[in-house]
Amino acid sequence: MALDRRFLLRGLFQGSAAMMALPLLDCFLDGNGQALAATGKAIPTRFGTFFWGCGLTKVLYLPKSTGAGYEDMPQMASLKPYKAKYNLLSGFRAFVDNKANYQHWSGNAAISTGNAPSSDQQFDGQTIDQTIADVIGHGTRFKSVEIACSGNKRESYSSLGGANINPPETSPTGLYTRLFGPGFQDPSKGDWKPDPQVMLQQSVLSVVADDRKQLMQSVGASDRARLDQYFTSVRELENTMAVELQRPELLAQVTIPGMPEGMTVNKSVPVLKKTTPVFARLLAIGLATNQAHVFNMALTEPANTMFMPGDSHVFHQATHEEAVDETLGYQPVTSKFSTYSMECFAELIKALDEIKEGDGTLLDHSLVLAYTDTSFAKLHAVDGIPMILAGSASGRLKTGLHVAGGSSTVTRVGLTAQIAMGLPVDHWGTGSNLTNKPITEIMV
Amino acid sequence: MRARALIATVLLGLGGLVQADAAVNSDSAPRITGLRRLSESEYRNSIADIFGRDIEVQGRFEPDRRVGGLLAASSAILSITPAGLESYTKMADSIAAQIVDSKHRAGLVACTPKAGTAPDDACATQVISQYGLALYRRPLTQDELKGRVKLAGTIAASSGDFYTGLRYALGSMLAAPKFLFRVETAVPDGNGDWTLDGYGRAARLSFLFWDTTPDAALLDAARTGALNDPAGVAHQVDRLMGSPRLLTGMRAFYSDFLELDSFSGITKDASIYPKYSDLVADAAKEETLRTMIELTLNQKGDLRDLLITRKTYINRVLASIYDVPYNFDGEWVPYEFAQDSGRSGVLTQVTFLAMFSHPGRSSPTKRGVAFNDIFMCQPTPAPPADVNFDIVNDTHNPTLRTVRQRLLAHATSPVCASCHTHNDPIGLSLENFDSIGGYRTTENGVAIDASSALQGKSFVGAVGLGQALHDNPRFPACFARKMYAYGVGANAQEVPAKLTRETVDAFAKGGYRVPVLLKALAGSPQFFAAPPPQPAPATKTALNVAIN
Repeated sequence: MALDRRFLLRGLFQGSAAMMALPLLDCFLDGNGQALAATGKAIPTRFGTFFWGCGLTKVLYLPKSTGAGYEDMPQMASLKPYKAKYNLLSGFRAFVDNKANYQHWSGNAAISTGNAPSSDQQFDGQTIDQTIADVIGHGTRFKSVEIACSGNKRESYSSLGGANINPPETSPTGLYTRLFGPGFQDPSKGDWKPDPQVMLQQSVLSVVADDRKQLMQSVGASDRARLDQYFTSVRELENTMAVELQRPELLAQVTIPGMPEGMTVNKSVPVLKKTTPVFARLLAIGLATNQAHVFNMALTEPANTMFMPGDSHVFHQATHEEAVDETLGYQPVTSKFSTYSMECFAELIKALDEIKEGDGTLLDHSLVLAYTDTSFAKLHAVDGIPMILAGSASGRLKTGLHVAGGSSTVTRVGLTAQIAMGLPVDHWGTGSNLTNKPITEIMV
Repeated sequence: MRARALIATVLLGLGGLVQADAAVNSDSAPRITGLRRLSESEYRNSIADIFGRDIEVQGRFEPDRRVGGLLAASSAILSITPAGLESYTKMADSIAAQIVDSKHRAGLVACTPKAGTAPDDACATQVISQYGLALYRRPLTQDELKGRVKLAGTIAASSGDFYTGLRYALGSMLAAPKFLFRVETAVPDGNGDWTLDGYGRAARLSFLFWDTTPDAALLDAARTGALNDPAGVAHQVDRLMGSPRLLTGMRAFYSDFLELDSFSGITKDASIYPKYSDLVADAAKEETLRTMIELTLNQKGDLRDLLITRKTYINRVLASIYDVPYNFDGEWVPYEFAQDSGRSGVLTQVTFLAMFSHPGRSSPTKRGVAFNDIFMCQPTPAPPADVNFDIVNDTHNPTLRTVRQRLLAHATSPVCASCHTHNDPIGLSLENFDSIGGYRTTENGVAIDASSALQGKSFVGAVGLGQALHDNPRFPACFARKMYAYGVGANAQEVPAKLTRETVDAFAKGGYRVPVLLKALAGSPQFFAAPPPQPAPATKTALNVAIN
């Protein structure tokens, strides 16, 4: 009988690996699961992004001094408790070269892919989280987890390229179910057994994957790329199942919460301030229990329609329609929305920092790139887009610094993040966004 | 132990199951020229039609996006992401498990295995062939069939249950690209062009007319070659149009055409509009669809009357928004707005007015842009990047107190004027309607001026607007173009006019009746035309290059 070698190897290897892993892990873990560092097994470093639309208010967020000990700024007040754990990056520019400045899109896409987009709402290449997940995302159930805090299923800025987005979770219950619903294995439970259903699903996927060759033979180039994406998804799912067949590792002292209550999810500021911490907390526990090493959280869309009840202007509208107050030097209503956005980001950082891991916190073992689409949204400006790198990537980056980019390309931030995450890269981006200069000021 | 024995047997049994078809492509060999991801409704309707309405479909569908004014067009450019496949696979397994469960088995599994505790290849072959034809919308190849029968047998043997084996074999088809995508295969038409094969034609007709997978009669017509012949197509079109299921198909198209999905992305400020809720949004969508179905299909009326009709349907929550008494029995009732109500046509329904407004106030520009995009196929380019809108916002401006005054002040700048003169007259004439579609006569204490002008013609309010637009031939031409794009999965903005010219002419000659349009469209050779095959790349194409 001819054997399907790919299937056999995968199945047998995973089956035996799962069986062998049990006693090994049992000896290394102590009763509290705290012995990870002692086993010599490194705590994984996670990568995530946090996206919000319409930027910040220069007068209120940008410190005059750079380096350590820069002055506190009012728009960043919510992040003050974590000031020593993040870097503020200002003055970096997204070059659009000879392409259009697609409003609210070019800056976003250039930061996340390294390429100025050649069409609106499409990514010229995969986003940085996926590039990093290709390297660090494979020992986990999910290659990455996406969250749309405002509940809109189209608000994800993670992509394998083109028009497709990695679909986001749009409610706390949805996120909970994905992370801790069927397929989740509680590492704190002692009676773990591989689930035969998963093995059977593997055999199903194996048959599905066999369609590949026949389909690829008779398809044109653009559809071939889409089929490639489908079969890449098959491989990712095979990986997820392989992980589900392994005994889960206890990475941190966390309790798996119960299913959250159903919550209203929309773009009203009070609602966002209520839901974002719930999303963040669930995500943090998911990261701590190894469900994923990579995540993307989008607070809103780029042309941010967050609004305050009673005020008829949404954020985006306010950026364009509100006058700059000559006395204050900024747009008073607009700036509040930027502040709210940072308050929501602070909730994510707080949730990561609350989970203790080894001798630090989950935040210490993470790198979170927070970014936006514009610097001055009123003019759709893409020079000086504010960004934040939070967490030290397990000590690979210095933190607590403000670095001014001097109009160098935004891709320096992405390149730095990839190097910090251990990717073997020395350059990133295309056109004027091509760079081989990581931000050495923050590198250890 | 049982689990391990099971997996070992599965592993050993599956080896070498599927030999890929090793056909060498000649220049005229059938080629895949289209790959369209099923929409959520296409998926749900397909499952209901193949397995019955009581099979539950629970899961998350990948988001689509609007391309050239239609979500349907994105089906031809989007693929399936890892998270998406995870969900599709779970749905596939859940559906397959229901098919073989004790509740549905007798009705859905057409044969009884010799022994329920062992493989039965003959019975598995029968069931897998039957559902394979329905799910893939064409008969399975020998390799596809053998692979699934083998999977079913292997799992049946190891689990000691025929139905468990069948479940996973069915699940493998439900998760397969050949189900999740409508794979369109083309053949040379004998005149140097390419055209869809019979099964591709069957699917195109079925998804346009009924929003679902081809039924047995269509698949049979594909098998016998009847669909390669205009008379055979006409026969099927008559049958499809004679069915009440046409309403399902047209509801799907109208929803896409009118962008009714936009409701899912909007929020209204509850402190300004306490009457608004998700119930209102759902009811408004239903109102508009009922209006369209009644006018275009039940009454076989002139499509253009959509812009002037005062006839609609309301329920209790809409009666509250429209501020009309609700003293009817039953959930929905036909309603005709009074002549002096200011309401006239679909542009004055809650859908259009609320979808294209801000959370807390109306937006003449949004409404104008949406109208030109949806009804006229004239999308508005993005505004200049550095435009200053300060004046529009200043609601405390002592001299510019209404939206109209502020907007006009802003739109006098030459760079802004080109688009605003195009869009604003439409929106300004709808200023009597607030952000959720309620009627109003003043704003900030000043009477609303809803006068406007288009192409030199002056008019007042929504009634005047509807009349001004009614005779503009762009609307029905745009509608026909979008129906073509919807049917074939193309970007409506990129559809060459010559492809729809004859159809549009027939539509006009037929008094702009939608059934006439449907017949003309499906009867035109362009509806089944396929692009010539793209040359296969010499090496694997990088995703980001290929997608552009």
